[in-house]
Amino acid sequence: MAHLDFDVYEVFAQPDSMSPHVHVFNVLASSPDMALALAEENFFRRESYTNLWVVRRDHIHQLGFKDRDGFQKTVKSYRTTDDYKYLRDKWRYYREHPMRPGGGEASERVDD
Amino acid sequence: MADEVMSDQEAYFLERIDRGDRIEAEDWMPEEYRNQLVRLIAMHAVSEIMGALPEKEWVPRAPTLYRRLAITAKVQDEVGHGQLLIRVAEDLMRPWGKNREDIMSDLFSGRLKYHNVFHMATPTWADAGIIGWLVDGAAVITQGMSLTCSYAPYARALQRIVEEEGFHIQHGESICMALAEGTPMQRAMLQDALNRWWPALLMFFGPPEKSQLSTNQLRNIRWRIRSKTNEELRQRFFTKYVHRIWSLGLTIPDPTLRQDPETKEWTYQQPDWNEFRAIVNNQGPRSVARLGLRSTTYAEGEWVRAMISRSSMAV
Amino acid sequence: MNGWTTEEVKESPEILEMLADLLFQLADDDFVLGYRDQEWLGLAPHIEEDVAFGSIAQEQIGHATFYYHLLESLGVGRADDLASLRPGEQRRNAVLLEQPNGENGDFLNQPHFDWAWTIVRHYLYDVWDIARLNLLKESRFVPLAEAAEKILGEKRYHRAHQELWIRTMAKHDTLSRQKLQKALGEAFGWVGDLVSFGRFQGRLEEHGVITSVEPAVRRYWVEVQDFLRSEGLIVPEVSSVMNGRLGEHTDALGEALARLSEVYRLDPSASW
Repeated sequence: MAHLDFDVYEVFAQPDSMSPHVHVFNVLASSPDMALALAEENFFRRESYTNLWVVRRDHIHQLGFKDRDGFQKTVKSYRTTDDYKYLRDKWRYYREHPMRPGGGEASERVDD
Repeated sequence: MADEVMSDQEAYFLERIDRGDRIEAEDWMPEEYRNQLVRLIAMHAVSEIMGALPEKEWVPRAPTLYRRLAITAKVQDEVGHGQLLIRVAEDLMRPWGKNREDIMSDLFSGRLKYHNVFHMATPTWADAGIIGWLVDGAAVITQGMSLTCSYAPYARALQRIVEEEGFHIQHGESICMALAEGTPMQRAMLQDALNRWWPALLMFFGPPEKSQLSTNQLRNIRWRIRSKTNEELRQRFFTKYVHRIWSLGLTIPDPTLRQDPETKEWTYQQPDWNEFRAIVNNQGPRSVARLGLRSTTYAEGEWVRAMISRSSMAV
Repeated sequence: MNGWTTEEVKESPEILEMLADLLFQLADDDFVLGYRDQEWLGLAPHIEEDVAFGSIAQEQIGHATFYYHLLESLGVGRADDLASLRPGEQRRNAVLLEQPNGENGDFLNQPHFDWAWTIVRHYLYDVWDIARLNLLKESRFVPLAEAAEKILGEKRYHRAHQELWIRTMAKHDTLSRQKLQKALGEAFGWVGDLVSFGRFQGRLEEHGVITSVEPAVRRYWVEVQDFLRSEGLIVPEVSSVMNGRLGEHTDALGEALARLSEVYRLDPSASW
C-alpha cells in the first residue's frame, strides 16, 4: 500500500463577531476549502459559530520549547485596576464631604 | 448589468447592517463606507500615536517609583492602541495599495488631523493626571458609543481599548486625588491644569450640532458607524465628571455651568470654536513641536523599518 | 555558610555597608538604563517595537524598584529618596548605562536617538546582568537570592530581544551592519566597569554574598564574543574610562538625575 501523506489544517472558530477566533482542533484535508467543509461537520454538529478560519499547520510558528518556560513575568499590579480600588471609597467620601476650594473639608454636601 | 450587481450588493449590505450584523475587512462594502471608516479610524490611530507624546513628556520624570511604573505602562498602552487602530486602518486601505507609511506621511504633511487635546501643552505633572482622568474619561465616552460600530475589526479593537482605559482613568484619578489631598502647592498645580484643560475637554467632542444633522452624520448613523451626536456625548461627560471635580474642591473655569434640575440638560460656556479649528489644523500650542519630534524620530528610524519590511533583504 | 536575613544584616554595620553598596549597584544599573529606555517610549522606529520596548523599560524600573525597597527594608532610606535624591557621586551604576540614547539625547529637545546603540548597549548589559543574577541566586543574603530567580525570567526575555535585533542588523545590509559595528565600538569604550563590583568586591566574595566572580566574568566575555563573531562582527577592545562602581560618572548622569527627579524634588515629603 502506498504511504499517503496529508496536510494538517488547524481550525479556529469565532462564536460571535465581537469575540476572537478560538482554536478548536485540526483536520486532515487536501485544500483550505476541504478543510473548511470538514471542520464544519467534525466540530460543529451542536455548537454554532459566526466564522471559521483554517490555517495550514506549517504556516503557524510558535515559541521554542525553552522560551515557553523561560520568560516568566513578575506581577505588575500597578497596571491593573486592582491597585486603585481604594479610589471608590475616596470618591464616596468626598461626595459626602466635599473639599473646600482652598483645600480641606467643607461642611456642605455636593448635590449628586 | 454591473450597476444592478452593485445595487444588489448594496441592498444586501444595508440589510445586514439593519439586522445588526457586523462587516469584516474582506466583505464587500460601499466605497463611501470604506472612506468614512478610513477617515475615522486613521484619525483615531494617529491621535493615539500623537496622544502618547504629551504624557510621554512626564514618563521619565514621574515623581515616585510607583508612578514611574504606572505611567510607563499607561503610555505604553496608548502606543498599543495606536498599533491596534493603525492595523485596522491599514486593512481597510489595502485595496488602495496603501499602508501605515501613507498614514504617517499624511499626518506629517498635515492632511490627516489628530485630536485637539493632544496639541496642548503639558507643563506640569498635574497635566499628566488630568489627561488620564478627564481626557481618557472623555475618550471612553466616545469609544463606548463606537463599540456598537457596524465595522467588526474596529469594534473589536475598541473593546480591547476600552478595557484598558479602565486602568488609565483610575491611574489619572489616583494622581489627581493625591494632588487634591496634598500640599497647597500640589492643589494649585492641579487647579492650574484643570483651568488649562477645560476648554480643550469641551472641544474634544466636537462642535454642537445645528438643529439639523449633516448628511455625513446622518449617513454614519445610518451605517451604524456612530450612534450619538457630539452634544449628547458632551452632556454625558458633564453628568459623569462635573460633580466629581467639584467634590475635590476644584473650580471649573466656567461660572455659567449648571444642570437644569428638570431636563438634566447642562448649560455651559461654549469654547472658542474658531480656536478649535485652528488647533486641529496644527496651529495649537504644541502642534508643530510634537509633529516635528514624531516626524524626525520617524525619519531617523526608517532604516530600521526598511530592515524589517517585506523585501529580499529582510531577515 | 548560613543565610542572612534582613534583620541580621541590620545588626552589623560592616555587613550592611558592603551589602548596601552592592544593592546600589544593582538598583542604579537597572534604574538609569530604565530611564534611558523610558525616553524612547512613543518614539521607537516601529510601532509594534515601541510597545515591546516599553515592557523592557518597565521591567528595568520594576527591578530597580525591588532593590530600592530592599535597601529601604535595611534602613538605608526611603526607596523614592534613594532613587531620586542621591547625587551622582553616590550612584554606583556602570557608566555605559548612563550614556544618552544618541546625540542630543534629551527626550524633550529634538533628540536624535540611535537604535543600534540602544540595542547593543542593552545587550551587553542584559548578558552581564543574567550572569550576575545567576551568581546572586547562590547569595548568602536570602532576600536577594530569592528575588534573583524571578528577575532572571524577564532578563532572559530582554537578552533574547536584543539578540534578535543584533542578528537582524548584522544580516540585513551594509548600512545596518555599519551602524551596528559603530555602536559596538562606542559601547566597548565604556564597558570596563560593568563587570566589576566596586570597593567591597573582595569582602563580598569572602562573606559569600556573591561568589565565583572571576569565572563568571570570563564566561561573560566568551558568550559576548562568540555571539558577535557568529554574526560576522568584529569584537572591539574593551576599555574603561571611569569606574561608576566607585561613584565616577559622566555629565550625562547628572543631567539625567536632574530630569528624573524634577517633580519629586518640588517636595520630597509630599505624597505624590
